[in-house]
Amino acid sequence: MQDVMWLVRHTLKKTFSNKKNILLYFGTPLIGIIISLLVYSGSNEKNVHIGIVNNDPHYITNDTIHFIKGLEHLSVTNIKESEIDDQITSGKLDCVLVFHPGFSKSVQQGRPDHLQIVSIHGSEITGFIKSYLYHYINNISALGKIANGDERTFLQMYERYQQSPFRTSVHSLKDTSKNIGMTYQTIGYLLMIMLFSAGNLAEMIVKEKENRTYFRLLSAPINGKRYVLSNIIVNMIVMTGQIILTLVIMDRVFHIKTNIAFWQMAVVLMLFSLVAIGIAFITVAFANSSASAGAMQNLIVVPSCMLSGCFWPADIMPTFVQKIANFLPQRWTLDALLKLQQGHSFGSLYLNLLIILAFALIFFLISAYKFGRNNNVNNFV
Amino acid sequence: MNILEIKNVTKKFGDFIAVDNMSLTVAEGEIFGFLGTNGAGKSTTINMISGLLRANSGEIKILGKDIHKHSRFAKKNIGIVPQDIAIYEDLTTYENVKFFAGLYGLRGTQLHKQVEEALEFVGLSDKHKSYPKSFSGGMKRRLNIACAIAHRPKLIIMDEPTVGIDPQSRNYILNSVKKLNEMGCTIIYTSHYMEEVEEICSRIAIIDHGKIIAEGTKEQLKAIITNTKDVWIEIKPMETIDLNKIEAVSGVKAVQMEENLMKVSSDVSVNNLNDIIQCLINDKVEIRSLKEQSPNLETVFLTLTGRSLRDH
Ligand SMILES: Nc1ncnc2c1ncn2[C@@H]1O[C@H](COP(=O)(O)OP(=O)(O)OP(=O)(O)O)[C@@H](O)[C@H]1O
Ligand SMILES: [Mg+2]
Repeated sequence: MQDVMWLVRHTLKKTFSNKKNILLYFGTPLIGIIISLLVYSGSNEKNVHIGIVNNDPHYITNDTIHFIKGLEHLSVTNIKESEIDDQITSGKLDCVLVFHPGFSKSVQQGRPDHLQIVSIHGSEITGFIKSYLYHYINNISALGKIANGDERTFLQMYERYQQSPFRTSVHSLKDTSKNIGMTYQTIGYLLMIMLFSAGNLAEMIVKEKENRTYFRLLSAPINGKRYVLSNIIVNMIVMTGQIILTLVIMDRVFHIKTNIAFWQMAVVLMLFSLVAIGIAFITVAFANSSASAGAMQNLIVVPSCMLSGCFWPADIMPTFVQKIANFLPQRWTLDALLKLQQGHSFGSLYLNLLIILAFALIFFLISAYKFGRNNNVNNFV
Repeated sequence: MNILEIKNVTKKFGDFIAVDNMSLTVAEGEIFGFLGTNGAGKSTTINMISGLLRANSGEIKILGKDIHKHSRFAKKNIGIVPQDIAIYEDLTTYENVKFFAGLYGLRGTQLHKQVEEALEFVGLSDKHKSYPKSFSGGMKRRLNIACAIAHRPKLIIMDEPTVGIDPQSRNYILNSVKKLNEMGCTIIYTSHYMEEVEEICSRIAIIDHGKIIAEGTKEQLKAIITNTKDVWIEIKPMETIDLNKIEAVSGVKAVQMEENLMKVSSDVSVNNLNDIIQCLINDKVEIRSLKEQSPNLETVFLTLTGRSLRDH
């Protein structure tokens, strides 16, 4: 293993002593982030306008209204009940919340009622508000249930609840659809960069054969398998760097919320890096020169990324194209990430992950078979 | 002890037999010359010794151990200078040697010391930080050698290390070979240049079509083909000479006349040049030039293979 690491060090040093390569391998993934920022810069900051009619003046009602005002991307105005129809139909307000008399009492009794939501937009807006509002109201009414009609106990618990620190976290709501789109775009681009990087790094095997250093290496106490292993390790190191760099910069610099836990994202992408190495090895095994390996990579990488929806959502493509995409590993990787964003648990994605792994395995087997045959022809051990 | 033993080794590429049932031994301390025309099978043999190619049949032993059963041992004891220069253009001189030496398990100060030594040895120690991109052919060849010797192998195999380089680098390399040998290394040396092999090698094998057709010291090889030496004498045109008188000189075996050029073949063991010249002077023949040609390896080679070593 020591000799493999010596080769790994050597390859990394050789590659990155050329500053251009640092840019090539670690600058290009960032371009994806910048592109997605540009693409999504238009659909920015869509505020939802909400009107509130308060016919139930009480501290519970007031605090509820205060909570709504604290949500991001909402602008809240107080209006009279008589203005509702006018404001809604003219489009000045997207929806109106009406707190009827008895609202606070019903909450305190543990059976929330007397709240009306008026909107002509349907669930796309009300659903978003409802989910946060009902969550809040349910918490308060839960306190009411526990107090079981005892006003003083309720008040004590209520005050403690309003002061508790975790409440603030509710305020950090964002328009997630834009973040999801930007994540998709960035990762789609990253997949392409990973494919190209793996191709470049694997191409070094052919290059070393061309400039004869490969044969010099094999006359030292190193064999072909160990040499290939060292190339795989270099590939993994570079791609892990790309993944971590992209995720960290997305999060820390551009504050794009991926809606996926860092490690889950990293695991899925690391699995894909195996696929990338597999594809790269196939091109290297079938090409007879570094130039033709490069040409093959271009021919494979860009079209397959297009078909599998690395640059645009797959569902805008015709269904027969989507069916073709099912035979591409990028599709399954992006699909896994989309599902994670939609809240599927990591464990439920085992099928996606298995399929990605299977792709990698098949590619490795094909290239190993072809490598083996090449060696038989040239009789190199 | 024999450092290298090749026993009945055959290597085929498809139907083509590149090395044909070859057997050979090299003893420790020798500078062993490998002579052969293009495609004779020299590099193929060397690639089998270094473990790059597997023979179809036969066995190869380094220091008594089979090279495939004891691959690590064999490889560590061999330093190979490949025919095609194998260095990294994008690494410095020092880094190149360090990398290859490191493949043999050397690390740290020991590695540093031996790399320095190797660079010193090939005369590149002032080129530490230079990139081989800017090197002349000779300097690249010398770096190629440094990469092969830094791990201090017992057997150094050089596959045409002097191809296409300036005379200065060539002398440097030839002297290095002798020095390495004095330091205790055994050397297998392949070349197209007969003079080189003749100058430095203690034993020589002539290989043709994958077979060793002659093997031995220079003297032994020369003795195989000939016991005559030739003298070429150029005389003034239109002179008439009595060839019988020259044939009568002791040791002379045959005299031939072509226009104004006379070829006198004599027994190698007899020194009769004075008598021949005296004979011509007596006849008042004017001598324009005179050239003695004792048999060299070139003629040995020519006679054995029917081809000149460098007719490519
Ligand atoms: N990998 C290969 N596949 C097919 N034929 C080969 C291969 N390697 C060498 N040969 C053939 O084997 C023969 C011997 O080649 P080799 O390289 O050993 O010759 P050589 O004596 O080193 O010649 P040179 O002086 O040109 O270096 C040549 O005819 C060559 O074409
Ligand atoms: Mg050769």
